[in-house]
Amino acid sequence: MPLALIAALPFLGALLPGLMARAGRNTAALVTGAVTALALLGLVLHAPAVIGGQVLHQHIAWVPQIGLNADFFLDGLGFLFALLILGIGLLIVIYARFYLDPSENTGEFFTYLLLFQGAMLGIVLTDNVLMLLVFWELTSLSSFLLIGFWKHLAEGRQGARMALTVTGMGGLSMIAGMLILGHIVGSYDISTILQHAEEIQASPLFLPAMILVLVGAFAKSAQFPFHFWLPHAMAAPTPVSAYLHSATMVKAGLFLMARLWPVFAGRPEWFYVVSTVGLVTMVMAAKIALFKDDLKALLAYSTVSHLGLITFLFGLGTKAGAIAGVFHIINHATFKAALFMTAGIVDHETHTRDAKRLGGLMTLMPITFTIATVAGLSMAGIPPFNGFLSKEMMLEAAAHTGWWGLDWIVPLGATVGALFSVAYALRYVAHVFLGPVRDDYPTQPHDPVPGMWISPAILATLVILIGLFPMTMAGWLVTAAASAVTGAEVHPHIVLWHGITPALWMSVIAIAGGALLLALHAPLNRLWEATPKPHAKAMFDAVIDWAARGARGLTQGLHNGAISRYLAIFSVVVLVAGVWAFFTGAYSPGTRPMTPLEPVPVIAWFALMAATVAVVRYHHNRLLALVLVGIIGLMVSIAFVYLSAPDLALTQISVEVVTVMLLLLALNFLPKDSPRESSAPRKTRDAVIAIASGLGLGGLIYALMTRDFAYPTISDWHMAHSKAEAGGENVVNVIIVDFRGYDTFGEITVLGIAALAIYALTDALLRGPANARLRGWVPDLKRAGDRHPLMLVVATRVMMPIAVLVGAFIYLRGHNEPGGGFVAGLVIAIALLMQYMASGFAWAHLRQRANYQNLIGFGVLLAAATGIGAFFNGRPFLTSDFGHFYLPWHLGEFELATAMGFDAGVFLTVVGAVMLALASLSLIARRAGETVNQTPMSTDPSKAKTPEEKANALDEAAAEPHDDASEEH
Amino acid sequence: MNMAFDIAVSILLVIGGLLGLIGSFGLVKLPDLMTRLHAPTKTTTLGVGSVLIASMLWFAVREGEVSFHELLISIFLFVTAPLTANFIAKAHLHREGHKEDLPEVGDGTVWAGQLAPEDEEIDEPHFLPEKGVGDAL
Repeated sequence: MPLALIAALPFLGALLPGLMARAGRNTAALVTGAVTALALLGLVLHAPAVIGGQVLHQHIAWVPQIGLNADFFLDGLGFLFALLILGIGLLIVIYARFYLDPSENTGEFFTYLLLFQGAMLGIVLTDNVLMLLVFWELTSLSSFLLIGFWKHLAEGRQGARMALTVTGMGGLSMIAGMLILGHIVGSYDISTILQHAEEIQASPLFLPAMILVLVGAFAKSAQFPFHFWLPHAMAAPTPVSAYLHSATMVKAGLFLMARLWPVFAGRPEWFYVVSTVGLVTMVMAAKIALFKDDLKALLAYSTVSHLGLITFLFGLGTKAGAIAGVFHIINHATFKAALFMTAGIVDHETHTRDAKRLGGLMTLMPITFTIATVAGLSMAGIPPFNGFLSKEMMLEAAAHTGWWGLDWIVPLGATVGALFSVAYALRYVAHVFLGPVRDDYPTQPHDPVPGMWISPAILATLVILIGLFPMTMAGWLVTAAASAVTGAEVHPHIVLWHGITPALWMSVIAIAGGALLLALHAPLNRLWEATPKPHAKAMFDAVIDWAARGARGLTQGLHNGAISRYLAIFSVVVLVAGVWAFFTGAYSPGTRPMTPLEPVPVIAWFALMAATVAVVRYHHNRLLALVLVGIIGLMVSIAFVYLSAPDLALTQISVEVVTVMLLLLALNFLPKDSPRESSAPRKTRDAVIAIASGLGLGGLIYALMTRDFAYPTISDWHMAHSKAEAGGENVVNVIIVDFRGYDTFGEITVLGIAALAIYALTDALLRGPANARLRGWVPDLKRAGDRHPLMLVVATRVMMPIAVLVGAFIYLRGHNEPGGGFVAGLVIAIALLMQYMASGFAWAHLRQRANYQNLIGFGVLLAAATGIGAFFNGRPFLTSDFGHFYLPWHLGEFELATAMGFDAGVFLTVVGAVMLALASLSLIARRAGETVNQTPMSTDPSKAKTPEEKANALDEAAAEPHDDASEEH
Repeated sequence: MNMAFDIAVSILLVIGGLLGLIGSFGLVKLPDLMTRLHAPTKTTTLGVGSVLIASMLWFAVREGEVSFHELLISIFLFVTAPLTANFIAKAHLHREGHKEDLPEVGDGTVWAGQLAPEDEEIDEPHFLPEKGVGDAL
């Protein structure tokens, strides 16, 4: 199976349990298990080659320009980790199936689990630094989802956030270091980087790179001082703790150290940083673990301690250290995952995992007890279990290690760490399972169903087998992995009995001391609780709080919601940059001659200026401002006409009309005057900025227009190819529907989304507090009678067919002459808008069948379908085709282009979007108490009274006092 | 012959220009909105009309083809100008006008702008475009 497929399988499979969430726990677990097993099978098929010392590569070019390739490689180290991820993953799936409650969303859980599995596999299999970063952060994200799976638990959410923050930040640091390494070597391939160890070690950037990578690795592997997140991640469901926080994710940091071992190891900096941190973590976490009553917290700290142990071994930089480290990774994964699962079983069956409330479970839960004892004794390093072997190797290595000229400090630290380790491991067994049977368990404990204990039982069996036959069971794996770590052939020889060595004596001291500590646990615990300790969570929360406040202060300082401030900042920055460029650059006056001053532009310019000044002066009166803005729009359209841009003029004028109409309707529900908010100095400031920016822009345009273009423009190309390649003489339209069809397609999609968003927002608005305000809304202007005047109604009815004809004409001629789908859509929309305004929205709406949402959707789909049609011609998306047809009866030549289909899509989307905006406004109007008329117009002369009725009415009017309310019509 | 046409076109243009000038002057000079309304709507319509006739004549004779653009422009002008005037007058009556200033309608009804909105509308319509516009259809 290709390596990329192995890494991709969990990602692909992650879709399945999520989709089958309703099918129940069994299906979800079965699917997840099948995916994991398939990937495992694919991996194991590579085993003979990898054990034989081969390194498998797979190269997939992705973005080679930036050195980003989806390369994968598999060597002994990667194989070991992949085996752990998939093998233990399979056991975890079985366990989780029985651990999770039927009421929980198991499908979601397994989806997250598979996502995590894929990300982990990616880390250990990828050969590219950038891909490594992606997978690295994916493990942080998926672990965030898994830790916070029980969303109702506050501590779960907080723990998930903390884990994400710490490991995610570490990942950023790691990638910075990895990028430096890649920079030194000149390649982002991990296998290439590994071959250039000497080059890297000679580089001045060596130390920063190492520190940055180590920060990432330490954060992920919960090494001091980043260890605090792991215990808080224990709020996760136990399968997650067993999988992520003992066997896999926390070992990603170790994997990274092992992976880069050939690059860093051997340097004193590496030894002092890594080994010291490892040793400190090992001792400190082991001590804390002893005093934790929560079983999972105990195991969490013990995990931190054991990770420290492995870190210490890798930090030694010796082959023996690497072998011991690799071996302990295997052993720790087996016994710690088993222990977590037993803790989960105890929690599941007794509903508590507080060591103080437990004890005496040996006879009640014999199977669990057996598994926990085997795994616990292995963790304590008692022979003949596998933990003993690797611990002996660690003590052996420590015994020969000096630290800053002190020979005793490392052996002492290692022994103390091992001693605490023995104490808490024994405590886990003794305080939970031994002792008298109690009568105050929250529930009556008993062994769980076999499905739940089968997974830890398999691991416990492995613990024993590896302990008894280390070379047969694990020797080959350790050889392959350690060879890959060190980059040289190693031939480890692991046996139970080494003879009487210093390590053996240290082990004896540790076991005896550990047993003594356990005996003295009660008084020591009182002492522990009496001593003040730094509280990591409080410190973390304080830092996060500080950061959040700082970010909020900065963001709100810059983004206070006032658009004037954004524009001011933007304008000033652009202005400063422009002025700076002007004075530092080599400016020379343009060479093009000035054109003569024509009267029409001068008049238009004055009108434009006058309208602009008037907008500034009268902007408080919103209605007036709207009218003035309309004048500016008209002047701009005229400018387009004058400058021979009829397409732009048509578009501008129709957009202007639609905008002003919709804004007028919206203004109905807004205050008619803007409040006066700005102080005089502020206005002065804004005026200065505005005038300076305007002058700057004017100067820029002047400078640009008085010289020829430095490069030939694209216009000539468009002019030359418009007719020849797209069959259209209107270059603007051809650009829109063909040359830049992608842009247009994106734009109509955005337009459609915007219209739908307006509608959705209006809908949401009317469900919120605005609803009550609108219901109690009193119009600020007196409502007019005769809302649907006869003259307007008749005129719009007459105009409708003419407008439709104009729209069709503009659409049809668009390809060769000014026009096109966009303008046509606006024209039709205006014609419809007029109908709606004349007779009221509801009345007009009842008389048409189109659904605006569907109109938008059809428009986008039609445009897409036209674009896809090009595929059938073997051309890229949106390549247009055209042909000439001769119509019968000598109507002449007629051209058809596929771009017309695309234009029709644009047309439909535009009409739909405008009308949906109108519909949104009408929703607000309805809520504000707008009534719905039944007749098309307020006074209908065709329903006028006959002369007799008129006479009667006159008599009645004369008889009664004049009163509006009694009027009939 | 050409001379005569040129004179005719010139006269029409001058008349159009004069009417436009008078209309603009009236817009400035006349005392209140209702009287002012006459200036642009009537005078300017006539002025633009004579310019359009001039244009039609010119193209018919000089270019030898009949142009319909001017007809279309006139149609649009004759539709929009009265409507605009009507609306301005309505808005003025609504916002500034006093009911007692208006003459009687003569058939017992009131002026359209004086209708109370609630009289002509029903409160509970048979169709509410509230949810999912178009869905109900």
